[in-house]
Amino acid sequence: MQFPNFNFLRFLFVFLAAGALLWSGCEKDDDDGPDNEEELITTVRLTFTDGGGNTSTFTFSDVDGIGGNPPVAQDITLSANSTYQMDIEFLDESNSANVKDITEEVREEAEEHLICFAASGVLDIPVTLDTDGNGAPLGLKTELATAQAGIGTLAIVLKHEPEKAAANPCNTGETDVEASFDVIVQ
Amino acid sequence: MSKRLLLLGQWLLLLWFSPSLWAQAPCSFTLKGRVVDAHTREPVPFAIVAVKDQDIGALADEKGNYELENLCAGKYLLICTHVGCHHSEHEVDLKGDMRWDFELEEESIVLQEVVVQGEAPVLESTQSSTTLDAAGLQSQRGLSLGAALSQLPGLSTLNTGATIAKPVIQGLHSNRVLILNNGVRQESQQWGAEHAPEIDPFLADKVTVIKGAGSVRYGSDAIGGVVLVEPRSLRQQPGIGGEANLQGFSNGRTGIASGLLEGRLKGKLPLSGRLQGTLKRGGNLRTPDYYLDNTGVEELNFSWAASLQQKRWSTEAFYSRFYTRLGIFSGSHIGNLTDLRNAIERERPPDDGAFTYELGRPLQRIYHELFKWKASLETGQAGTLQLQLARQFNRRQEFDAHRQYGSLPDALESPQIEFEITTHTAELNWEHRPIRHLWGNFGAHFMRQANTTDRGALIPNYENYTAGAYWIERWKNYPFPLELEGGLRYDYQWMDVGRQGQDSIGRQLEFSNFSGTIGAIYRFPGLLNLRFNTGTAWRAPNVNELFSNGVHHGAASFEEGNPNLSSERAFNTSLTAEVDGQGKLRGSLSLFYNVINDFIFLEPRAEPVLTIRGAFPAFNYAQADARLAGLDWQLAYELMPGLELESKGSLLDARNRERREYLSLMPPFRFEHGLKYTFRKDGSAEPEAPFLRISMANVPEQTRVPANADYAPPPPGYTLFQLEGGAHFRLGRQPLELGFTVFNLFDASYRQYLNRFRYFAHETGRNVSLRLRLPFEVNSGKR
Repeated sequence: MQFPNFNFLRFLFVFLAAGALLWSGCEKDDDDGPDNEEELITTVRLTFTDGGGNTSTFTFSDVDGIGGNPPVAQDITLSANSTYQMDIEFLDESNSANVKDITEEVREEAEEHLICFAASGVLDIPVTLDTDGNGAPLGLKTELATAQAGIGTLAIVLKHEPEKAAANPCNTGETDVEASFDVIVQ
Repeated sequence: MSKRLLLLGQWLLLLWFSPSLWAQAPCSFTLKGRVVDAHTREPVPFAIVAVKDQDIGALADEKGNYELENLCAGKYLLICTHVGCHHSEHEVDLKGDMRWDFELEEESIVLQEVVVQGEAPVLESTQSSTTLDAAGLQSQRGLSLGAALSQLPGLSTLNTGATIAKPVIQGLHSNRVLILNNGVRQESQQWGAEHAPEIDPFLADKVTVIKGAGSVRYGSDAIGGVVLVEPRSLRQQPGIGGEANLQGFSNGRTGIASGLLEGRLKGKLPLSGRLQGTLKRGGNLRTPDYYLDNTGVEELNFSWAASLQQKRWSTEAFYSRFYTRLGIFSGSHIGNLTDLRNAIERERPPDDGAFTYELGRPLQRIYHELFKWKASLETGQAGTLQLQLARQFNRRQEFDAHRQYGSLPDALESPQIEFEITTHTAELNWEHRPIRHLWGNFGAHFMRQANTTDRGALIPNYENYTAGAYWIERWKNYPFPLELEGGLRYDYQWMDVGRQGQDSIGRQLEFSNFSGTIGAIYRFPGLLNLRFNTGTAWRAPNVNELFSNGVHHGAASFEEGNPNLSSERAFNTSLTAEVDGQGKLRGSLSLFYNVINDFIFLEPRAEPVLTIRGAFPAFNYAQADARLAGLDWQLAYELMPGLELESKGSLLDARNRERREYLSLMPPFRFEHGLKYTFRKDGSAEPEAPFLRISMANVPEQTRVPANADYAPPPPGYTLFQLEGGAHFRLGRQPLELGFTVFNLFDASYRQYLNRFRYFAHETGRNVSLRLRLPFEVNSGKR
């Protein structure tokens, strides 16, 4: 069969040139490997200091992160008719060999954070003692007063970018932590 | 014969035969018919029908109708010609009045076959399909691809806020819809509901949507349908030309500039080329009552194409790059279910926002690159062989509202999620010359894909290999009214799943199966075309359905994949009636019935997942038999010369047959009615006549939802008005096209069920768009 006007060499040239272009000069996967070194808050640690300087700590932790095992909360035991200073710490305990304290970061970005509280039973809501750079409440340091003995719950919610000027700032922003403890006042 | 001479010849013929015919006096027979495009079946306006070697001829009208009157009995060799078409010859033996329809092969269609593989069988699809042509696209310019398509019957969008829209075909989307960008399967992270197609809509000259399982030709997974995005074919005449587009939107104060420059060398090396680019910048969008904070967008796209056509072969290279940075409405970022409930109760965002072009977190940064090379070779008398190789790279980065705790200072600007996926595809297609009345093609498809999840652990790293082979045949014997089509396909997929976050998965998965389709077209000339298609297709579960593990922000849900999922199997049947007329009525109506066995969906778990961030509703990927049935139509009726009444509608009923409940997140009914007035001078049919259109879209509340499966009930129905117009002008010798569209004319406040951010905010308010198109010709190739 005749192939008039068909320059096979020209065809081959274009074929090869285009093929070479195809595999070069393009954006590549930069493949810097998985980067999963991000820190999570896995643990909320509450430290209660009574008037006599005695301290006790209680934790709420979900060491394996979201999914897997559910979080575990220790029961808080307090004395009746006492006033405590409550300090809150946020920790990353996902790697037990390298526990990281994230509290300082929350304090540094105090304007963007707010700790909200909810209480039930015999417990009253703690009174926030610390403020951010604008004088608005932060909540890492609070005062909690107990009255009669009984049981109750205490929930601690760390909000990111709340509208601190809003009527109810705890209904705004993004929840980073929501930890609920059972409390026994005796 | 050179193009120029051909053109000159046509003009001479036109003058010669104008206005209609030359007659032979004593004879009285009439020969009439239509001139249609052999592929699209659309009328070819103003073709010339002449009798060879005699001074008899006629010019067809704008609807392709021609008439030769006062003919004597006898044999005539008829020739039908049109600029840009191959001419068609036919011998008739005239014994009385007679009808003969011509089918013209458009030269540019043949060239398009070079550009878009296997175009011909697609255009003649026996399936229900709908097209947004250059004129239709013009009025949707500036919108994203998904939003532009949503005006077509049977199509809707799955939105994430006001900036992200994905096309939904008859209720199906994401991995069930395949998008072919200039003939190449668009491969990115298309599984994500908030991952919009990475395609510059200004590159498209025509978008065709094939509804239903069209997978025999394009792949095993397109059980919802196929979207074919086609750029305009490269320049045929020597010289340099192009166009400039400028557009502005009032909402978001969005500005778009898009330009195109194309040329073709004269002489012995017929090399054509095109350069194209688009720049888009928009700020915060506004609902009728407030601004949507952080909804700006930046887009920067460019592409080039080059092709060389020889008599027996042709080759084409294409490169495109898409880059966007887009803001995600900041009011949508929530931490847990309590935050979501607060947002729903608030009914609107906590603050009213303000206008800015600044983009903050959360945002997405997406980069997509495509390189394609294609060659076509005529294999003697036997047919045409086509080879296409393509490489795609997609990088998707998502930046959360706030950085991770403990980030190092230099990591502050790094994303929380980063996927990179590289895809190589190779396709071989051989289209055989018609054997008697049998047209067909067969071919093979290979794909290699490597995904790395560089940040985040939502989906694992994996490698994916697929191979497929298909064979499609069509029987047609024009003008016999029946056309038959059948196709078969086999696909094989192998996947090697590696690490996901800190966990090593190390699984190999294999899927393979057959797809098949049979279809028919029956024509009642001048009245109706009926298209019937029934097919079966399958889709292997996607990596996110198999291995997803984590919290889906913005949806406040925890999603867990199921590595034991099996493939979905779809059985799709559609019947389309299309008015084939020169009459006052135009349009089509299609009915579809789609059964999908082992349909993969997210099933809510009874218990939420408890985390240190609070409670999240949990969902597992599950499978059940589903059924999607419905109806869509698009009709236009000419009330009086120039004035048309238009009607469009999409109805869908989608059910989970095993659970005896509706499927969630399915598009509600949609009706659209409009009036279009075209300002024509003395009834002439210039396609560029100025027009005005007003339309009203009515979307009733979606009541077909499963019970207790949503955080809030579906939003109420709404009615939107839209006004648009366009006109062509000439400034001296410079043609100019001006157009405007007012979306949501009366600034209605509403929410859409298929917007994942419906819990947080309303849809955008009135938006006035002005557009200017400036086609130009630098050098028309004077010799």
